[in-house]
Amino acid sequence: MRIEDHPILTYPRRRLVTFTFDGQEMTGYEGEPIAAALHDAGVRVLRESPKLHRPRGFYCAIGNCSSCLMRVDGKPNVRVCVEELKEGMTVETQKGKGDLLAEL
Amino acid sequence: MANNMADAVIIGGGVHGCATAYYLAKAGCKRVVLLEKGYLASGGTGRSGAGIRHQFGTEINIRLSSAAVRMMENLEQELEYPRGISLMQKGYLIIAYTETQMEQFAKNVQLQREIDPENLTEILTTEEINRKLPFLNVEGVLGGTFNRRDGHANPFHVVQAFAEAAKRLGVDIRTFTEVVDIRTDQGKVTAVVTDKGEVIQTPVVVNCAGPHGAVVSKMAGVDIPLYPQRHQVAVTEPLEMFLPCMVLDFTHGTWFKQTPDGSLILGVGDPEHEVKEINQRCTWEFMKDVAEKMVFHIPRLKDVVVVRQWAGLYDMTPDSQAILGATPVEGFYLDVGWSGHGFQLGPIVGKIMAELISGQKPCIDVSCMSLERFEKGELIPEPNCV
Repeated sequence: MRIEDHPILTYPRRRLVTFTFDGQEMTGYEGEPIAAALHDAGVRVLRESPKLHRPRGFYCAIGNCSSCLMRVDGKPNVRVCVEELKEGMTVETQKGKGDLLAEL
Repeated sequence: MANNMADAVIIGGGVHGCATAYYLAKAGCKRVVLLEKGYLASGGTGRSGAGIRHQFGTEINIRLSSAAVRMMENLEQELEYPRGISLMQKGYLIIAYTETQMEQFAKNVQLQREIDPENLTEILTTEEINRKLPFLNVEGVLGGTFNRRDGHANPFHVVQAFAEAAKRLGVDIRTFTEVVDIRTDQGKVTAVVTDKGEVIQTPVVVNCAGPHGAVVSKMAGVDIPLYPQRHQVAVTEPLEMFLPCMVLDFTHGTWFKQTPDGSLILGVGDPEHEVKEINQRCTWEFMKDVAEKMVFHIPRLKDVVVVRQWAGLYDMTPDSQAILGATPVEGFYLDVGWSGHGFQLGPIVGKIMAELISGQKPCIDVSCMSLERFEKGELIPEPNCV
């Protein structure tokens, strides 16, 4: 799902780019939040809670709540609701809290 | 109206106040009242890095910390505290950047071993530090000391554990109750007055008020050389555990640890620029400073998000050592001035305070920490603190 009309905001359509989510190829608009592209593609679970491993979805959408932390191009703890989509990005579901020592 | 007769009133609900209350009640003191102007651990205790270490450079601190570490190890059982104090005993590393520091560290380790044969502190080379923490930037590091029995804990849980155990022994803990006056008569303590207008009759008052220690002492007519000094802390988002030990660096004034939940707690002591008043506001200058210094220490931290920051106050004295024990005013006791290393010593000092107040011989002789040392010029400067 994607918001096309909004009473205040406008959404200039830029070029379509491809990226992967957990190895699966997807498309989105360049420069939109990664989470917007994932949402449009039907991805509803972005993360799991660190302790009880319960699903976490799109929530605050302003980079605050840590519900959408994902690994992007190998970097952990990226807030995909405020990170811009770029051509060829590798977006992955993050297991755990983010491993600082994992090789990038 | 609450019962306003007490056998002892303790001022301050940090680790020293709560531990003193617990050990006093345990020693049989019937009516112990603890007054805290905020909530428990709202002052220096809850804002501290909560490091625990054997690694000191004065005899008194080595004796106290050796005992304190052992008490921390058994605290959950002693206090029957089911939630745990998050004790992480995976070591404490102090790094040196100068030859002078290395010489001092060698002296410290020698003294620690002389005093406590079980002491495990070892001197590490830069290579050994690099093997232990490969992500740590060792540029300029000449070596360090490490003790694997050292570590850190959660200061809120430690205080809560003491407070709950004290309450079970009948201690009356009153939070959000500020002391506004201490009454004396013919050189003896007689009562404590609170901001709620209560007058609590008592022959014993223990000042555990941390950075407010001088103001509280003044109420009893006792002047002590103590002043507050702000220190600030930043906290990151949680990460997978990668930093098992606590790290301390006197050159940059930095210290850092990772809590069991994964957050990094990062501190910088900056006595040259920090305010020396009751002021717990955070600053942007600190955030810039801590970010630069931490990325220097651990370059991989550069993309890690800081989620919040806080400030707390050290209770400083001229020799960065506590002021402990009796005063010229009979019944007025001091347990203040810990100058940034007091959290870890709370359990043992609480026990010693209870012994002193009950008229017993304390398990560790703390007479060198008396108030008189300033008059006599017998200072005991601690080299190993930030």
